[in-house]
Amino acid sequence: MVKVLVVDDTAFMRKLLKNILFSAGFDIAGEAENGKQAIDLYRELKPDIVTMDIVMPEMNGIDALKEIKKLDPNAKVVMCTAVGQEQMVKMAIKLGAKGYIVKPFQAPKVVEELRKVARI
Amino acid sequence: MPETKLIAEFFEQNWKKVEVLITEKSLVWEKSKIDFREVADLEIVQHVQKECIRIRREKDYYFNFGEKQKQVFRFLAFNIKSDKFAVYFLSPALRGGVLVSNSKWEKGYFSITESAVWFLSPERQIRVPLNTIGSVNKDTRTVGDKSRVVLSLSHMENKEVVTSFILCPETTLELLLDYLRRILEQQKPKEKLSDIEEQILTMVYTGLDSSNIESVLGISTEELNKIYDKFVNLGIAKVVKIRKEIELTPKGVVIVSESAKKLGGGKSG
Repeated sequence: MVKVLVVDDTAFMRKLLKNILFSAGFDIAGEAENGKQAIDLYRELKPDIVTMDIVMPEMNGIDALKEIKKLDPNAKVVMCTAVGQEQMVKMAIKLGAKGYIVKPFQAPKVVEELRKVARI
Repeated sequence: MPETKLIAEFFEQNWKKVEVLITEKSLVWEKSKIDFREVADLEIVQHVQKECIRIRREKDYYFNFGEKQKQVFRFLAFNIKSDKFAVYFLSPALRGGVLVSNSKWEKGYFSITESAVWFLSPERQIRVPLNTIGSVNKDTRTVGDKSRVVLSLSHMENKEVVTSFILCPETTLELLLDYLRRILEQQKPKEKLSDIEEQILTMVYTGLDSSNIESVLGISTEELNKIYDKFVNLGIAKVVKIRKEIELTPKGVVIVSESAKKLGGGKSG
């Protein structure tokens, strides 16, 4: 099963994503509420995919992505963003993010994107 | 479209063949005439088993132009009563939160009629009903090699949020933004939603069913039903399915007991 680390600063969004992914057969490796926690958990849990929110306290998703890519150049990170943050997404893709989903999202789109990234 | 005579099907209690004369300013058939300036709305719909053009004036008129349908629709879309603004548009730019990679900027018009806004180009005439518009904002996009301020318009289509971008002069952009924001303001529910109600709305949009929502939020079916009723009363949701909860009668319990015996007696038991 594909192991996913869910990173978002709002508990509600984490719950929502976990629910969608679990229902679609993904394994939830863990969850983090900021970039720093995400890096620590990535090191510890070695997930197959990370869903990474962009705007977060402590350390944002872009900086966390950079650090995770330093740790593991093959890391599969899917950015989770809001409408209007497309410039950030472009930057993230340049930094090595494998995909992105835009909030508010619909479950089938999320699953489709993560399955696509899992196959890369 | 030059003055054209076409044989079409017209619906009046049932479908009948009529000769329609389409001029620069009007559509004439039998003893009737529709002046394009009087048309309030236009849409391709299914009506009594046929795909046809619905023309709304003080009442609805249905025409099926067969092979010429697209051509007639395009002509009407460009000529009905509307406020038209020359723009470039990208529609759809995002669908369900995912970039539509094969979408291209088109040169055309952003048109406003009584009940819809339109993206019009020679190739496509996209109708967006006003009551499906969810948000409108300014956004910065790279168009060509330049960073440009565009209008971002999101609407619902087949249960998905579709976002389109409009590129136009700043004065037009401000005017459209102001107009669309006023429309949205009129459509907003009068009552403010609580945090939990907003979360439930998000979950419904995401596609979670009632039992999932109850488990994520730790609330009871009764509490959720109360909130659903509020959404329905506010006109922001509609009931599509009523779930039944049952409990077994003694007859049902007997069947379960028998079934358990069978399972217990199997190889795995």
